[in-house]
Amino acid sequence: MRFFSALLILLATPAQAEELTVVTWGGAYEAAQTTAIFAPFTAQTGIEITTARYDGSLTALKARADAEGWDVIDMLEPTAITACDAGLLAPLDHAALTKAPSDFAPAKLRRCSLPQNVFATVMAYAPDAFPGIKPTSIADFFDTARFPGKRAIRKSPDDILEWALLAEGVPPAQVYDLLSTDRGLRLAFRKLDQIRDHIIWWEDAADPPRILADGRASMASGYNGRFFAAQQAGDPLSVVWHGRIIGYEVWGIAKTTDAPEAARAFLRFATRPETMARLSERIPYGPARQSALPRIGLQPGTGIPMRDHLPNAPQHGPTYLVRDSLWHSHTTNLRQRRFEAWLADNGKGG
Amino acid sequence: MVPDRPSTPPDVASPARRAIVLMLCALVIGGAASLAAIGLTDAVLWLNDVLLIAPRARVQYEDAGMLVPVATVAVPALGGLIVALIWRYLSSAGRVLGPPDVIEAVQFERPLPDLRSGAASTLAAMVSLGFGASVGQYGPMVYLGAMLGGLVRRLRLGVPNLPAIGVACGVAAAIATAFNAPVAGLVFAHEVVLRHYSTQAFAPTTVAAVTGYVLANVVFERPALFLVQFEGVQHGYEFVLFGALGLLCAALAMVFMRLILRVAAHAAQSRLPAVLRPAVAGMALGLTALWLPDVLGIGKEALRFATIEGAFGAGELAVLVAAKITLTALCIGFGFAGGVFSPALLIGILFGALFWTAVDGTGLLPTSGIAVYAICGMMALTSPVIGAPLTTILIVFELTRNYDITIAAMVAVVFSNLIAHRFFGRSLFDVQLARRGTDLSAGRDRARLEAMPITTCLTTDMIRATNNEPPEIIQARLAASPWSEAYITDTAGRFLGVLPQGGQTLIPPALHFNEATTVLDAMQALRGFIGDGIPVVNSETGALIGVVSEASVIEAYLDISQSLRREENAVL
Repeated sequence: MRFFSALLILLATPAQAEELTVVTWGGAYEAAQTTAIFAPFTAQTGIEITTARYDGSLTALKARADAEGWDVIDMLEPTAITACDAGLLAPLDHAALTKAPSDFAPAKLRRCSLPQNVFATVMAYAPDAFPGIKPTSIADFFDTARFPGKRAIRKSPDDILEWALLAEGVPPAQVYDLLSTDRGLRLAFRKLDQIRDHIIWWEDAADPPRILADGRASMASGYNGRFFAAQQAGDPLSVVWHGRIIGYEVWGIAKTTDAPEAARAFLRFATRPETMARLSERIPYGPARQSALPRIGLQPGTGIPMRDHLPNAPQHGPTYLVRDSLWHSHTTNLRQRRFEAWLADNGKGG
Repeated sequence: MVPDRPSTPPDVASPARRAIVLMLCALVIGGAASLAAIGLTDAVLWLNDVLLIAPRARVQYEDAGMLVPVATVAVPALGGLIVALIWRYLSSAGRVLGPPDVIEAVQFERPLPDLRSGAASTLAAMVSLGFGASVGQYGPMVYLGAMLGGLVRRLRLGVPNLPAIGVACGVAAAIATAFNAPVAGLVFAHEVVLRHYSTQAFAPTTVAAVTGYVLANVVFERPALFLVQFEGVQHGYEFVLFGALGLLCAALAMVFMRLILRVAAHAAQSRLPAVLRPAVAGMALGLTALWLPDVLGIGKEALRFATIEGAFGAGELAVLVAAKITLTALCIGFGFAGGVFSPALLIGILFGALFWTAVDGTGLLPTSGIAVYAICGMMALTSPVIGAPLTTILIVFELTRNYDITIAAMVAVVFSNLIAHRFFGRSLFDVQLARRGTDLSAGRDRARLEAMPITTCLTTDMIRATNNEPPEIIQARLAASPWSEAYITDTAGRFLGVLPQGGQTLIPPALHFNEATTVLDAMQALRGFIGDGIPVVNSETGALIGVVSEASVIEAYLDISQSLRREENAVL
């Protein structure tokens, strides 16, 4: 079976070896990708992979994709939707990329993207900061009276507005309905007001574990894989899964790519169940395909059972929110405008 | 409409077969009603998204210039026009069918209005709700469930009371689906529709309600309407506040119900063409929504905001309560199709939040927070509108799974119902029925007696003669018959009087009825009556229609009483 898969990939790949520039996020995540995806792909196809890093913004995509020869891009799904609408990504022929589209459910195969993994934005805290009662819910993130200290938050309206309403007791199923109203946005920013003077903003996904480790903040928002990697590296931090926001990471192909065939071969390889499972064994981002889940075993080296650390592991509790990518994509301007107005309104947030 | 004379079905199946038939019917009806309710809800949500009624859809077009404001006004107006066209061209009834029609059909053992009108009513409700009218979805869902359940009337399955039970099953499943609340669905069917409890009805409605719940909650994983976290009532004196809130909600519920009735009456008399009335209401709604978007549609976002402290200011709450009452009355009165259940929930929860804001604003009394007052208000206002205090209490319990909040709501609901029942009536449905001539306020037996005209008991086999017939011939006919008096008319058939056996002159009858006399009227008039029979005379022409005997009136009375007893005490 493996032989046939390899043969198929080889047949689909141009005879002459090529190079692909794959754009990703760096840090522990990129290290896991290199071992699980990039190196095996090169080994099987002979196509060399060069990686580039970006901050996930559309601005970076517009400015750098053509100039730096980006081919395949690792993206958050909402950004991929916006980039697709803006003509920055190549439309995909999903039938040619996968024979099992239903295996991706509940993730959606959108026009220019192919789901690859599931991650969660979670809150983590430095245990030393709270020797007594520990934070357990997302409401505790906003409660600086019970849990004093700075909060490290991504400088973006993504996720924090959702958290604000979850902390007000809004059930996950209604968060986006309420955030769609002016009243809901006002409520969310009112909640943010409660911690305005305690915020440290971060922009690099690798920052939150560092900020917690060096004691600059007592709690931080961040990605579950990054916190897991920091824990493995010996950083004393605890993750609170309550209120986690689950999002999809997708692959897209830059419209300006000069190696479309190789890019498509990469997508086929990267979204095979065994490739997905290999990544999840190295960093706890869940696979986007259902059939990959049973393949996930122990982390190489440490022997940690990785399925327990995935964002959608049932033992993490029922209070979580699945990010509505379409909504996010279509409300970027509004949320950014309101967020910047809030930032400008009395204070710099820490 | 003349009700059927109660009768026992000629071919009653064996108990085992009856039980199997009832359970199968309950499963099928429960499943069908639940799927239909889910389908209706999804169609409405889809329309809300496509037509930019749902905030979640509107916000995504926020950058698209005037698109959202134009849609806000144009969509409800266009919806109104479509609804008016549905009334004109698709519906024989020409109006929305809802819980009052279901109650009437079940209480008088009649079929529901024709399927075409029912389907048109559901379509009109879907358009009304989908295009953002300020009306409720539960009334149409109840009717849809009842309509599907009512189809068992067409089957001859040898089960007494099956048509009523089938309808109740459909209603129970629809409510269980709508609220994820099977116990509330079961109780609603008994409390509002059947109005009695019997093993025969209880078992199948339970099965239907659970089927609806399983489909909605387990198979389709529908989210609950409401989830609140509540730590419990912190202070004993708050129960007095809940009672006071109940009293105020009763007053507001009465204002709401009277306004709906009044606007509907005025609309019927207005010079505005019927085809334009819903569109005008839709346009008024849209114009208001430009400034107050919470009034559009069912308002599930506002429902949630009302439980969050500080989401609304007191002024905003007061304005929204007034606007929602007025616009709902306008939409329903001017012909949009929909119910009053959802708007009542919204008005009540907003008013409960307003009440808490006022109490909290005084700073005199610590309270347990806004959520419990909002929910008490919601149920205290809704229960008198739909006439189902027990159902509303159970809905709170099943939605919140919180005993403390249920007890609090119970206090508010009880006080609200006491006042509203005393000064308005059991429910808006019952008052609407009473205005159509069906008064259920004094009980099912009285209503049935009142609804049955005396003409169903009359005979034309009496001794009838004209005034130009020789008296001796009339006497000879009398002597050869069991009758002791003859009924004399002129040659045109107009009733002139009674000729007793052996008498020579006409005498006026001791009593006479006309075609509008009911069995109840007759029973009351018969006190102290002695004689053969009572002539029934056409009130307009004076023509003799026939004669009713005392025995036939009593027989009709006993038939109805026995029929009700059979229903109420029936076992599987």
